Formats: sequence, structure tokens, C-alpha cells
Amino acid sequence: MPVLLLLVGLPLVGALVVGILPKKRPELVFPVSLGASTASLAVALYVLWEFEAGTPALQFIEDLRFSTILDMGWRVGVDGISLFMVVLTAILFPISIAASRSVTDRVKTYMILMLVLEAGVLGVFVALDLLLFFAFFEIVLVPMFMLIRLWGSDNRRYASMKFVLFTAAGSAFLLASIIGLAVMTGAQIGTLASFDIRNVLAIQLSGTAQLLLFLGFAIAFAIKVPLFPFHTWLADAHTEAPTAGSVILAGVLLKMGTYGLLRFNLTLFPEAAVRMAPYLAILGVIGIVYGAAVAIVQPDVKRLIAYSSVSHMGFIVLGMFAFTTQSLQGSVFQMISHGLTTGALFLLVGMIYDRTHTRKIADYGGLATVMPVYAGLFLFAAFASAGLPGLSGFVGEFTILVGSYLSFPVMAIVAGSGVILAAIYLLWAYERVFTGATNPKIEGLKDLDFRELAIMAPLVVLIIGIGVYPKPVMDRVEPSVELILDRIESATTYQVPLVGRSSAVVDIEYGEFDVHEGGEG
Amino acid sequence: MQGGAWLPIAFEVVLLVGALAVLLVAVVAGRDRRFWGPAAGLAFAGAALAGVLQWREVSTSGAGLFFTAQGVSFAKSPMVVMDGLSAFGAIVLGLVGFVGFLAAWDLVAKVGRRGPELVSLLLLSLAGLHMMMATPNLVVIFLGLETASISFYVVAGFLRRQKGSAESSFKYFLLGSLASALFLYGVALTFAATGSLTLYGGNSIRDFFSSTIVTQPGILLAGMALMLVGIAFKVSAAPFHQWAPDVYQGAPTGAVGFMAATVKIAGFAALARIFGAGLVSQVDTWTPIVAVLAAVSMVVGTVLALVQSDVKRMLAYSGVAHAGYILTAMTAGVAGVPAMWFYVSTYAFMVVGGFAVLSTVSGSDSSKVPLDDLKGLVKRSPEMGWLMTFVVLGMSGMPFFAGFVAKVFSFVTATAVPAPWPANDHGYLWLVVLGVVMSVVGLAFYFRIIGTMFSTPDDQAELQEAGLPVRFAVIVSAVITVAFGIVPWPLIEAVRDAFPI
Repeated sequence: MPVLLLLVGLPLVGALVVGILPKKRPELVFPVSLGASTASLAVALYVLWEFEAGTPALQFIEDLRFSTILDMGWRVGVDGISLFMVVLTAILFPISIAASRSVTDRVKTYMILMLVLEAGVLGVFVALDLLLFFAFFEIVLVPMFMLIRLWGSDNRRYASMKFVLFTAAGSAFLLASIIGLAVMTGAQIGTLASFDIRNVLAIQLSGTAQLLLFLGFAIAFAIKVPLFPFHTWLADAHTEAPTAGSVILAGVLLKMGTYGLLRFNLTLFPEAAVRMAPYLAILGVIGIVYGAAVAIVQPDVKRLIAYSSVSHMGFIVLGMFAFTTQSLQGSVFQMISHGLTTGALFLLVGMIYDRTHTRKIADYGGLATVMPVYAGLFLFAAFASAGLPGLSGFVGEFTILVGSYLSFPVMAIVAGSGVILAAIYLLWAYERVFTGATNPKIEGLKDLDFRELAIMAPLVVLIIGIGVYPKPVMDRVEPSVELILDRIESATTYQVPLVGRSSAVVDIEYGEFDVHEGGEG
Repeated sequence: MQGGAWLPIAFEVVLLVGALAVLLVAVVAGRDRRFWGPAAGLAFAGAALAGVLQWREVSTSGAGLFFTAQGVSFAKSPMVVMDGLSAFGAIVLGLVGFVGFLAAWDLVAKVGRRGPELVSLLLLSLAGLHMMMATPNLVVIFLGLETASISFYVVAGFLRRQKGSAESSFKYFLLGSLASALFLYGVALTFAATGSLTLYGGNSIRDFFSSTIVTQPGILLAGMALMLVGIAFKVSAAPFHQWAPDVYQGAPTGAVGFMAATVKIAGFAALARIFGAGLVSQVDTWTPIVAVLAAVSMVVGTVLALVQSDVKRMLAYSGVAHAGYILTAMTAGVAGVPAMWFYVSTYAFMVVGGFAVLSTVSGSDSSKVPLDDLKGLVKRSPEMGWLMTFVVLGMSGMPFFAGFVAKVFSFVTATAVPAPWPANDHGYLWLVVLGVVMSVVGLAFYFRIIGTMFSTPDDQAELQEAGLPVRFAVIVSAVITVAFGIVPWPLIEAVRDAFPI
């Protein structure tokens, strides 16, 4: 059974069904949309359940080659890295759709766009064909543009256009690189162009070509992540987007950038990756500190969370280019964790925005006495985002910092300040919004109702769940990142520091490090 | 070829008979379009069918040259050729012509008694356009070009009482005649340089180059350059594009799609025939020039489209940019023909569909279509709004729409063949990078159109429903845009055989 086709196709089928629903039955739109995305979630959970841990091999492979002259086709599969991106996407979409009840204008169009968006993002994470990957990567712009343009807040025209042009500018480099790579591959296997990643992996590239292609891919993904200094679109887009749009943007769209770096830049161009690693890691660290510093002074809650994303995504990039098992594992884990925690924060902001229609921190104060349950949940999400031990954010950032210290000690120490800054901006915002004298404008607001609690519940459970017991995730991610490191080691002179490989066991005995090779991980 | 002797010219014959039949029926049975309309529709469909038969013949028994001008002084030269290029072109022209004719149906209704004249002009122009690609003789190419152009000058000014239409027609006529003259001058100089008017066959330009080394190519270069200018004008490639926005804007909206789409098909096919096949030995001379034309077209078309406030002008400039993307494919010489065909044949439907939607929004006899006319289109007419969204996404080159595959195919082709200047193995890589960048810049105005269509309308009135033929034309165009975006390989495989001999 083509499981992944089903995974990507179900939201599209849902979109089609929503499209042909009769005008007279508007009440059907919501359940059909929720049903379609939940069905996709069910498929994703099936993939998660059936996924064989302990191997870096791609699984659930579907390979349909359509054209011989342009060697492209439906080539999909998942490994330990894409698996969790798929599951994260499939979880966040039903939640976002459920959280979109406050959308009353043109619900049908809204839901169609959400479902198309879901199919696009899922496609990005399963594609093994460069052209297919690019197609999904690019098509995501269309529904996201419309979601911001049509349902965004005051400055939406500017924000939506900026979003499209920034990310599409990156895609231009990506497409040019993909075409170059495909033509080089095609020349070696005797067609016009081949986009199959397995063929592309097999060809030899000169150092200059690798470097140029690496940069082409990296610019596209760096804008998507967004890496400092390409981050300026992010605050506008996040702030102006409707709640569900912000959740999806921060939760999964940014991950398309980091996923692309991991899947393509590190895998296809190991030599160039090693050469460029320090520079990208530095940009990541600058992003961590800069994003956090800017977040502190934001007067707007959504902007604050947007800049916190810049900071958190910086951690992911730092870990990715530190080239140790822990740092890479941490990066993937942080991708999941950031999706959950930032998603939760944006959902919570959306819930209060529905009530008050303001996002200004100064408009609030003493909210905790008015909405105690809401305050509790917000504090929980803030802690999770700031990396309180026992919650998911801690596992991701701690693993990244430990892993990165082996390669870039100074950068890891500087990056550590990001954790402290996160506590400052989140808790200071909490103090201003929730404590102190109650602002008269917000008196009498209703606390969260059952539907809103039900939306938050899965995120809370998952944040605690993988925060307390991250092993199932780590076990599945590990072989895939090990494979990436193996490729880098065999292609370059770079050696992963011995304690940085999971095959080495670190015992701490009497304050000494004893390194045994070949123990179990 | 027993019994099939008419096949090489079947396309033209069907259309000419159709054009006469329409006029005759209108005279005999009355000017009600219910009488002669089906005749015209049949002629377009029959032309497409003739193309299909030609295609079958070419793929089973191979391509052929035909001597049909006995007794004339250059009798040994073939006048008609039937090969992959001409047969595929016939299918595309026939289908695009048919859809474009349906899109013009509301306009035909509006012009009332003059309807048969308009339709027979469209039929005649299509015959001329196919003549351009189905002959190895440069003079016949010119004749086809003029047959089509003169018909189009009249169509552009068909609503001569409207200020814009008359101006558009006159401008088209003056500049078009200049371009035709330049093309003819180019033909003459090429004849002077090579001693032949036929691209191939007996005593041809190809023969000349295979037996002669040209040491002083001045006249030849001038001839090639002038022919290239003439074609670049017809396909509205920059810097020979200035007529396009004015003519598109002034001409009746219902007919612009037909004109813009079909002339591009024939222009690029003629380019493939003359330069790709005929002047194949001079490929190192003309591909750099085509590359420069492509670059200028992409930049000028895209940048100027950004600042337009009228959708017709916007689409005209976008057409200039698209000419650039298609020329990008042709920088690979004759190897670029498949990518050229994929691009032209899908883009032609987008053009027809796009202008058909505009004609339902602003009226088929309108000349100006300000962007505000599209405001809230999705709400006022969900069908037209969504279909137009698909068409515009197709033009913008978004994945899963035909324009994307077309661009990728074109770019891949341009890098697959070594380039003569600047000499390297990776083809015109700089052109591809420029093209990719310009595609992104172009998103700004394509998304502006989409954003406008999805915004809240000023007046909530539902759009008056368009006639069935126009709706059908829009649906077909949108379906083709989407279908060849998701399932492009049948077309990719087909265009591999659409080569000139």
C-alpha cells in the first residue's frame, strides 16, 4: 500500500471535498477539514508505529519514475529524521484547524488552503526526488501567502508580499542549484537531467562545484530557517498571520529550512559542509543571542515569540554544524520541541487575542487573577520554551550545547546565554501580562473553555512526554545522523571527536573520563 | 502517400474552406451565429484533426518534403514540409485556435452582423500561421507571416469606433509592417549570401553550407540578424516588444488571447525551423544573440510588468518575459525544440484562458482592464476566480502547474549543451540563473493579481455569468495548466518527436 501517497493525498482529497461541498451546508466544512487532517495524522501514526528503529535506511519507499528524458518522479520515503517531521506536521495541523473556529469569513477557502498547505509540508518531508522536494517546498508559499493576505491583521499586505518575495528569492538559488546538480547527474547517467537523490549521491563533484551548490542550497534554507541576517521577514509574517498560520509557520514551515540543511547540504556536499561549518555555526550563535535580545524589548506578544523563534532556530543550526552525534540528535530533537512549544505559545496568544483583539503587552496586566487556567498553561509553555528540565526544550538545547562544546567550545558557551535570555524575555513578559494590578480593560474575560483546553492538551502531554522520556525519539534519530556523520568522515579528513560518537561510552568514575570504544549506546 | 497527397496541406485547406464556408453560410442562411458558428467550430476542430493525422503519418512513415510549385523558376525547391515540427504545431495551433475561438464567442455575439467576418479572419490567420512552420521556403514563411499579420491587424481594430481599438490596430499595422519588411530584407540578404531560398531539400541553404566555407559572412550575418528581428517582433521578445502592451490593451479583450497565443506558437516554430534546422551550421553565431534576446526579454518583461496597473498590459509584459524563457530553451539550438514546444503549447492555453477570464470580467469588447476590475473575483464568481488563480499560478511558474515544468525543462535544456560564447561546457548557465531570479521577481505581480482576486469586493454583486463557450474555454485552459503540471510526462515524451527535419 502506498502509505506515503495516502499521507500526502488525504489532505488534498479533503480539500477537494471541502471545495465541492454545497453552499447551503456551511456546517460541514469544519468537520470534513478536521476529519481529513486527522486521517492524515492516523497514517502518520501508523508510519511511526511501523517504523523500524535502529537502522538509517529509508523506509516506506515509493519509487515511480515518470519520464526518461527528465528523470523525475514520485520518489518518497522516510528515515529517522523525516519521520518526526512528518509526525510533528500531522499533529500540528489538526490542532491548528481545530483552533480556527474563530475564523468566520470565507471558512471554505480558509480550510482548503490549510489542507493544501498540509499536503505541501508533508510532501517536503517525504520527498526523495530533488524536483519533487522543490515543488513541495515552493508550493507551500501559495496557501501561506493567502492565509496571511486574507485573514491576517492590519499590516497583512506588506507582510504577505515580504514573506513570498524573501522565501522565493531563496528558492531561486535552490532551483538554480538543483538544475545544475540534475544536469551534472544526467550527464553521468546518460539523460538530460536526473533528479533522483540516489543518482545525485553517486556522482563526484569538484570542490568548487560543491561549494557553489552548497551555498545555493544553504541560502534558500537559511532564509527559511531563518538564519541571521535573513530573519527580517519572519517577525512580520508571524505577527500578521492568523493564529493557525503563525502556529504552522513557526511549528513546521521553519523546520523545512533546517530539514533541508540536514538532508541536502550535509548529505550531498560533505566537503563543503565541513569547510563552511564554522561560518554557519557563528551565524547560528549570532541568531541565538540577537533573537533573544530583540525579543526582550518587543511590545507585542506575537513579535516577542517570533524573535524567540530566531533564537531557538539558531540552536538548531549550531548543533547541525557542530558535527557530533549529540549535537545533531539535539538539533533534530529541538526541531520537534520547538514546533510543540512555539505552537503552544502562538495558540495561547491566539486564544487571548480572540477575546481582546490586542497583542500589546501594555494592554494587559494581572491577567492571572482573571484567567487562572490560561495563566497556568502560558507559564507552562513559557517554561517549556525556555528549557526547564523535565520539559522538551531542555532536552533539545542541552544535547545541542553538550554536543557543540566538543567542536566549538567558545560558541557553545556563548550560545548557553541564549537559555538565560530566554528565561528573561519569557518571564518578564509573563510578569507584565499576568501579574500586578488587573488592567480594567481585561476584567471579566472568560477563562479557557473545554474546546480550547482540548486543543492544548495534546501539546502539553507531548511536551512533558518527550521531555521526561526522550529515548524513543533519540533511538530513531540516531542511526540517521550517524549515517550523515559517516559520510562526512569518509569524504573529508574531518573526524568526529571520539566522545562525540555514540559508539563511545563515557563513564565518569572518580572525576575522570574513561573512554571505551564499541560499547552499547 | 497514395490518397494522402493532400495531407501535408490539409491543415491550411480545412481552415481556408472553413473561412469561406462561414462567409457563405452567413450570406445564404442569414447572419444568425447559430448557423455559421458550428461551421467555424468544425473548421477549427477539423484543423486539429488534420494535425493529428499528420502526426500519425509522420510517426509511422517518417517526415517528408513536398514539391508543390512546379513550373515556377525555382521548381526544384520543396514548398511544403511535413515533419514532427509541423504536425505537432498543427495539433497545438488547431486546439489553441479552437479554444481561443470559443473564448471569443461573446465578442462575436457583441459585434452582431460582423461576426462572420471576425471569425473568418481568425480562421485565415491560423492557416497563415501554420504555413510559417510547414515550409522550408523562406518566401512561403513570409507569405504565411503576412497572411496571419494582416488578419490580426484587422482583428485588433475590429471595434474601430472605440478609441483604443483603432489606435491599437494602427500601431500594430505600422510596427508589424516594419517587422515584416525587416524579415523580408533578411530573407533577401540570406538569399544573396547563399544563393538559395530553401532551407533544405534540393539546392538548399543547408547544401550551401555543407559545401562552402564562408570567409566573409557580412551579408549572411545581416540577413540572419534581420530575420531574427522579424521573428522576435512577432513573438514580442524584447527589445522588439513595444507594440505588445499597447496592442493587447487596445484590441478587444475577447480576441486578444487568440492573437497572443497563436502568433507565439507559430513564431517560435518558425524560429526552430529557420535557425534550428536550416541554419544549424551557424548555431555558434546565432545562439549567443538569442541568449541576449532572452535575457533582455526576461528582465524587461518582468520589471515592466511590476509597475502596470492594467491587467492586459501586465499580461502583455509577462508575455515578453515568457518569450525570454522560451528563447532560453532555444539557446540549445535544435536540441531546445522539445522544451520550446512544451513551453509554448502549455503557455498558449494559459494566455487564452487568462484573457477569456478578463473578457468575462470587463466585457469581451473592453479595451482597458484595470486591476481593480478583478477585485473580489473569487467571491463574485468562484468558478472564474479559482480558474484564473490556476492560470496565473501556471504563468508564475509555481510547481504543480504546467509553467513550472516548462521552465525547468527550458532551463535544463539551456545548460545541457555546451555554449559557444562564453565558451564553456555548461551551456548558458548565466541565463538560467537570471531566469530563475526573474521568475522570483515576477511572483510579485502574479501574486498581486491573485491577492486582488481574493480580496473583498467593493460591490457585492455577483458577476454576470459568462456564456457557455467562454466558460468552457476557461475550464479547458485551467485544466491543461493543472494537468500538465501534475502529469507532464506524456507531453514531455510527445515533444521529443516534434523536431524539424
